[in-house]
Order: sequence, then structure tokens, then C-alpha cells
Amino acid sequence: MTEQNQKKSLGARYSEFMDKPIARDVLPIIGFLIILVLFAILTHGKIIQPFNVRLLLSQTYVLMIAATGVFLIMTMGCLDFSQGSMLGIASIVICYLSAYNIFLAILGGIVTGGAIGAINGFFHVKRKIPSFIVTICTMYLFRGLCAYLTTNSPVYAVGNVYQYNTETVKLCLTIGLLLIIFLVYHFTKLGYSLKAIGAGETASRFAGIKVQKVKWLIYIVAGMITGFAAFINVIKVGSVTSTGGNMLETEILIALVLGGMPISGGAMVRYINIIAGVLTYKVLSAGLNMMGLATEMQQLIEGVVFLIVVALFSDRKSLKVIK
Amino acid sequence: MSKMGEEILKAVKINKSFGITHAVKDVTVSFYKGEIHGLIGENGSGKSTLMSMLTGIYSIGSGEFILEGKKLNVKNQVEANRNGVSIIVQEMGTLSGLTVAENIFLGNEDQFVKFGIKNAAAMNRKAQALLDQYGFHHIHASTMIDNYDFEDRKLIEIVKATYFNPKILVVDETTTTLSQAGRDELYKHMKRLKKLGSTVIFISHDLEEVIRMTDRITILRDGELIDTVQSSDVTEDDLKRLMVGRELSGRYYRTDYGEPVSKEVVLSAKNVSVPGQLRNISFDLHKGEILGIGGLSECGMHEVGKAVFGASYDRTGEVALADGTHIDSIPTAIKHNIAYVSKDRDNESLVINDSIRDNICLTSMDRLSKHHIILNKKLDQFANRYAKIVSVKMVGVGQFVSDLSGGNKQKVALARWIGKDSDILVLDSPTRGIDVKVKADIYALMSDMKKQGKSTIVISEEILELLGMCDRILVMKEGAFSGEFKRDPALTEEDFIAKMV
Repeated sequence: MTEQNQKKSLGARYSEFMDKPIARDVLPIIGFLIILVLFAILTHGKIIQPFNVRLLLSQTYVLMIAATGVFLIMTMGCLDFSQGSMLGIASIVICYLSAYNIFLAILGGIVTGGAIGAINGFFHVKRKIPSFIVTICTMYLFRGLCAYLTTNSPVYAVGNVYQYNTETVKLCLTIGLLLIIFLVYHFTKLGYSLKAIGAGETASRFAGIKVQKVKWLIYIVAGMITGFAAFINVIKVGSVTSTGGNMLETEILIALVLGGMPISGGAMVRYINIIAGVLTYKVLSAGLNMMGLATEMQQLIEGVVFLIVVALFSDRKSLKVIK
Repeated sequence: MSKMGEEILKAVKINKSFGITHAVKDVTVSFYKGEIHGLIGENGSGKSTLMSMLTGIYSIGSGEFILEGKKLNVKNQVEANRNGVSIIVQEMGTLSGLTVAENIFLGNEDQFVKFGIKNAAAMNRKAQALLDQYGFHHIHASTMIDNYDFEDRKLIEIVKATYFNPKILVVDETTTTLSQAGRDELYKHMKRLKKLGSTVIFISHDLEEVIRMTDRITILRDGELIDTVQSSDVTEDDLKRLMVGRELSGRYYRTDYGEPVSKEVVLSAKNVSVPGQLRNISFDLHKGEILGIGGLSECGMHEVGKAVFGASYDRTGEVALADGTHIDSIPTAIKHNIAYVSKDRDNESLVINDSIRDNICLTSMDRLSKHHIILNKKLDQFANRYAKIVSVKMVGVGQFVSDLSGGNKQKVALARWIGKDSDILVLDSPTRGIDVKVKADIYALMSDMKKQGKSTIVISEEILELLGMCDRILVMKEGAFSGEFKRDPALTEEDFIAKMV
């Protein structure tokens, strides 16, 4: 009995702590540092050698950029599973157009992503279908299209796209994008609207927020951001196969949740969730890899960590139906 | 009947804290068999929290409940029911997505299960029999609960909470959300249980009702037990004094009569219809006027507020401002300084899972931004300013609205619109479930608005509130206006009710 009481008070103390805004600000960073230190020890410092850090970073850009778009969607309490196939299709478009002009190619990628985002938005907003159903459907649809377009052979970009594949270009583009979204998220009416929609859609409507418009807009923007990520993908890889962008959606979701993002979105969301999440995820998977674990074992461990973090960070108040 | 019955339930040194708020402090109180026991106090005084612990909605902080000599520590409402304790809650207590029958027998389906298979037909039959027995013939057991409105869902909750003749029934501020007919139903079953020797714990802000219905009354203030009194020995004023801890000033409603209202029309509705709610209604709202709209809860009056605010679905007809602007959507309404406070505080008025700051600032973002840039510091200042004007009891503007009591939530909702500098306020049930002190604050605020030349539409089920505050009252019946009264001290509730039914 006493033990049970103690457990309860521990649980109560924990949820009290998680209710404080500071917890949501600091924990993602602490989590990242713990994982980093843990793997620095486990890999005997290998993971923090300059060469490996650079390698790690070069694998991070696409995920980081695409996660930014999904972050906006999830802030509204929606989901998007179509990111991977979106990246595949946008990459194909970019490869085709790279033969003509590199800027045209970037633009093409962004437009393609935006168009797929618009389709997601249409079915979710106008046809009122839950977003995870819509985006699972479009995921299959565009995954299929991607496979069809690459049936005979991978689609190749022109050879000179590699000239853009430098750390400086990729790092600047990524930081630039993160900065723009950060500013929009924290200092504009749109940013506040996103959080409000996530915290309560009906109440947001009654506060004059054009909920439908904002949702649709964000789906398009997230698509465009992923279209942009496709460009980074193409200059790095140079070609697209039928599995281009495979599993990206899951990686994004895992990364954001590892970064402390509540799946219900809303006012508990913090921008740091993206950066801390993506870095934590990448360190975690690279670290497990360096320790020489088999892929299956890596997935298993990632799954366990993922579950624990979701359990820690979900905003239970928002998930409750009855007061 | 003897007043001192046998003790059935005892709360011993009950405590509960939420973060830094000590909601219930060392409360010890006894409940007798066959009594209706009133539990009153201001918003945030701990009544609901205490009852939530009894019925397993919250866990007990410390202390214990003793029911018939045995310790009672239930983990949820189903377990509470099994121990003979049930509750009718203030807000929606039925679950969407289930049928009426499934809601009534929630957590108690085993009686219909044979070899692991649920006999839905038997369940529906039994539920329908119960509904008929209660006289709710218009409710069908096999229909999804979502097809019924708030009032009917409350009736279903009454069945759910009382059909098994619980030893203890808690009624938590249910009457404020019910029409007179619904209240009468509830009273009937409270009395029935009393006769059976059960105990009813009755929470209400309507002190007249509490004195009339109960045998004894327990008063809580700031989480502490102040006193338990015999209902026959006290007056409303005694109770108010005990609740607030000091004498309340006499001013409550407006006292002025016969002052002329400006002829200037600020908003007019013409032939407004909403399917199933409103039939062709037209009215004018004047500058500086407080216009009341009253009627039975299902007469469509709550939709009038939404229609004026541009929030109704499928509305026809027009709502126009003096300058000819048509109000057809919420953003247009807000842009032209129309404010709306909904009856549904937790879902429509406020984003409850968000901070006080964001809630107050949300409608004023355009004013708070400079070249489309919004600074956090500015929001803090703005929110602090208006939270102070309406005196919200809070830790800081970063606190979440979900942590506040009903009265404080309403204050946040009002702060938002005062901050927006609204010219036309549409207030739907502004004092629903709110204690006397905050009520007085809200009435004072309405008078202030009037003095500033702002116009208010008050939609309310409380006739006295309408009589006390409005310059003119429109009465509704079945989606249309059925009468109009000018402000007059001689006006009585009876005049009013005659037009309602």
C-alpha cells in the first residue's frame, strides 16, 4: 500500500514537472546530450571524430528539412505519412529538369511537393477525412507512381549536379530554411494560429482563425519544403530508384517524437523538437550502426526507445475525451 | 421524519493538491442516510474536486472516505457505481460514438454477456424499458447518443446515474445546464432516492434552489470546510456570507429604470433562418443597449448568438451593421468588433489546452503585430493588462486555461474581447455555473460596457438575470420570437414564462 502511494506521488510529481513550460524547453536538449555522451562512450569516441561528425551531418540534411514541414503539420494536431513518396516523386522531377536548368529543377521539385501537399490538404480539409488516412492513401499512391516511373532503370540527374554537393551549400540551405520557419513560427500570426488549432480546433474557429485555409496552406507548404529537401537528396545521390525516399515518413515521425514533440500538437510544441529530435535520431542510429549491431537489432532498439519517449512526452490532457 | 439519520458516508481529512494549488484542505464531513445534502462554495472552492475524488474521477490526495463503515477508494466511475456511488457531472458525461443503451450500461455490460457474446437486443430492451419508466419516451435506446442534444444527454445521464438506486448520488452543478422541465425530472429522482434511504449530494450555485431542495448544506471556501448548516435555518444571504467570508455589497443587478435607449441602430438581423434552429427572425440592436434573449433552452436562442457572429452553418437571411457591412463569417465579425462568448466555454469560447496569454491575444494578433511581426513581450504585456482588468485569479499569463476554475475561465474569455475593444458583445449564458462574486463582476462589466456606449446581446436561461440587466428582452419559442418586453421594475417571471411555453 505504502509502495503504491509512493509510486502515485512519483507519477504525480512527474506529470507536474511535465506541465511546466521549462520541462518542454529543456528536456529535448538534455535527451540529445545523454544520447550523444552515451554513444561517445559506447563507441569509444568514434562517433565524435571529425570525419564521422561530417558523415553524420551529410546524412542529416534531407531529414532535417523534411521534418520541418511535418513539424508544422503536427503542430496543428494532424499527421503526414506521404513524405517519403513525395520525396521520391519530387526527386524524379528534379532529375528530369536538371537537364535543362538547375533553378528550374529546384522550382519543379518544390512545385511537385506543393501539389502533392495540396492533394493531401484537399481530402483532409474539404472532404473531412482524418489526415493519417488521407496521407497513408497518398503514400501508397505515389510510392506506386514512383516505382512505375523507375521500372526500367533508375532516373538519373545530369552529371554536373554533383558540383552543388558541398557541405557549405547543404549546410547553408538547411540553416536558412530552419531560420525562416523559425521566424514564421515564433513571430507571426500564422505561427500562433498553428498552435491554437492544435490545442483546440473549434475554439480556434471561434477566435476567428480560418482553420481550413491555414490547414490547407500548411499541407502545401510542408509539401514544398519536402520538394526542396528532394533537391538536396538529388545532388547527394544523383539518381532516384523505386525506393527513393522510402521510410522517410517514419524517420520524420520518430525523430520529431524523440525531440519531445507531443503527437497531439498544440501549445506544448517547441521548435527545438525538430533540431534536437533529428540529431538525436541520427546519433542513435549511427551509434548503433558503429557498435556493429545487425540492422534488425538496431530497429528493435530504436522501436523501444521510440515507445519510451512517446510515453514520456505525450500531452495526456489533450488526449483525454472527458474532463 | 427525523433530521438526524444514520451516518452513511464520512469524508475524513481529505486533501488534494494540483501543483501549487491546494484545492481541498483537511475536509471532514458526514452525510446521513435519506438526506439531500447541499454542497456550496465559490468557483475553485473545492466542491467538484472533493466529489471527483469520491467518485474516482480524481485520485484521493490523502485522507479517506468511509462508506457504511468500509473504506472507499475507487479508481474510476465504473468502480464507484459498483460500490453504489454515482455522479452526474457538470459538463458532458456521456460518451460519443456509443448508443444510448451502451452509455447507460457502460462498465456494466456483463449482465448481457453470455458465452462472451453481448446480447445487444436485450441491452436495448432493458435500456428502453428504463427510459420509458422515467418517462423519456422520445429517447430511443438503440440510437447513437450523438443524435441527442445536451439536454437529452443530461436526461440519459440521470437514468444512467440513478436506475440502480445508488446509495450515494452526486449531482454536480447539473441544474444550471438544464431547462425547467429537465430540472423537475432531476428533482423528482433526487427525491425518489431520498425516500429509498439513499443520500444525494447536491452541488449548485443557485442558492434558492439549494435551500429549497436540501436538508443540510455544507459550505466550502478555498478548499476548507466552513460549516454545515440546517437548510431550514438559513437564508440566501447567510449562505452568500459564509461562501464569500464577508458581506456582499447590495449592488448585483442594474438599479436604473426608465433611462431612454439611443435610437441609433448598430446591428440589424433580417429574416435570419438556420435549419432546425431559427425561423425567420428579425431584430435591431441599438447603441448602448443591453438586449436580452430568453426562452426555454431548446427554443433556438443559443443559435441567435452564433448567427450574429457569422458562426452558424447554413444560415440564410442577413445580419448587417449600421454601415451596411454584412456579417457572414467569424473573421468578418471579429474584424468589425463583434465579440461572442459561447455557452460552451471549454470547446468554443476558449482554447483550454493553451495559455491564458494566447487565449487573450488570439483575436487581437493583427493589432499586436508590427509589419506582420509579433513579439512575445508585447503579448505578455497585453495579456497581463487585460487579465488584470477583469481580475483573473492566476499564477501568471503562461498558465494554461485548463487549470482555471469556471469563473476564471469566463473572465479570460471576457478579457479577450475587452482587449479587442469590441463594440458589440454577444454573451451566451455568461454566468452559467459561476459563483455570486464573479457573477457580480460580470454584471458590473456589462454595465460599464453600456456606459461606454457599447451594445450587448445577452442570451440566458436565467430569467432574473435578463429582468435585472436588460433594456429590452425578446422571448423565443420554437425558433421564433414570441414576445418582447421593455425594461420595467414591474415585470415578473410569470409574465415572461407565459410567453416561453
